[in-house]
Amino acid sequence: MNIRLLSLFKFIFSLLLTGSSYSQSTYQFGILPSINLNKKLQKDWSLNFKTQSRQRIQNGDFRGNHTKEYEYLLTDFSILSAKKVGLNSRISGGYLIRFRNEEIIHRTIQQYSIVKRKTGFRLAHRIAADQSFSSNQSPEFRFRYRLTPEIPLDGQTVDPKEFYIKTNLEFLNKFQSSDYELEFRLAPLFGYSFNDRNKLEFGLDYRFDSIFVTDPRHSFWTSINWYLNF
Amino acid sequence: MNHYFIKCLTILIIGSISTSLYCQQKYERESRLKPADVPPAALEFIESAEITSKVKWYIEYGLETKSIEAKFKLNNKRHSVEFDTLGTLDDIEIEILSKELNTNLKKSIDIALSGNCSNHKISKVQKQYTGNQNVLLSLLKNQDFAGNFTTKYEIITSCENESKTEQYEYLFNDEGKLLQQFKIIFSNSSNLEY
Repeated sequence: MNIRLLSLFKFIFSLLLTGSSYSQSTYQFGILPSINLNKKLQKDWSLNFKTQSRQRIQNGDFRGNHTKEYEYLLTDFSILSAKKVGLNSRISGGYLIRFRNEEIIHRTIQQYSIVKRKTGFRLAHRIAADQSFSSNQSPEFRFRYRLTPEIPLDGQTVDPKEFYIKTNLEFLNKFQSSDYELEFRLAPLFGYSFNDRNKLEFGLDYRFDSIFVTDPRHSFWTSINWYLNF
Repeated sequence: MNHYFIKCLTILIIGSISTSLYCQQKYERESRLKPADVPPAALEFIESAEITSKVKWYIEYGLETKSIEAKFKLNNKRHSVEFDTLGTLDDIEIEILSKELNTNLKKSIDIALSGNCSNHKISKVQKQYTGNQNVLLSLLKNQDFAGNFTTKYEIITSCENESKTEQYEYLFNDEGKLLQQFKIIFSNSSNLEY
């Protein structure tokens, strides 16, 4: 399984490097902290509240031009209502509001997730769609798929007071007016389970937007995610 | 906006810390064990069985119990040998496919499961052997299944009832009589879903 995943990552990276002109690319570095709260309700229903903030520390291009300046970019607040529909699967739907400078973006979200429990690791698939609306931009429609393996670093399951490695691998198809873009995200994260209801993750969230254009942007966010369940 | 955001974060953090402190629960858990920390009697048993594949050692904590487990692959099947903390052998479990179950036994198990579930699907079967240590050593070393030992079957199955699906672990004897059943509580997966 690990060898298959590694091969997949290698393939994706080679695709990215050959598909883009490196010298015309731009990049940005920053931090991306998030808090994720989950509340279990009756009859297999649950609620998910998430807030995430994006702050840029440096941006530039690969020819050596760069600006090192802290810049607050945006904050998201979202709420999703979820219903367990199978032993390991859940459907969710909800709303996100994004504050970006003076702009407010409204987003509706629908997703289906399934978590497979294998010997020695867990593997999650997430298929999602979202629709974003704002006063000064055309509506944007996204269809995304995310694959997430989680591997415990001690034993065969992630138990309380244990570390684990989690990697998000995601493809986003974005449609806006007549434009289409494909974004790729890879987030290798190092996690710690304080207990089953309280987990903290730290790592890189790498985003490569516009795979098919000549001047793509590479984003490197330091990701800190806190998951709490009630 | 920034000020408002920091305020919200502070409230969320304080709220969540105070709640999580009062929500502590006990879980069964396992940890890898270095061979040097394995009870000598358990090590000796596995060495005597002349296992050529890699053996991984674990310590498992139950609610009130502790056990030592050796996991390895033999003849392309997952094996698990369980000992107590002194290294005395408890049982040997070998993972098999559900289609490898004897027809009559499979029928009895299906009847028992149908009584509990409107719909069920077996996801894992382990054949469990208990008995004299020397007999079990011969089973492991020489694949001698003719010895005098007790065979039970540990079945993991999803069970649908009243439009709700749960996972259970059942223990059957070799005649298909249900001996024990446990509901499996899954660990939280919100960090994989959101």
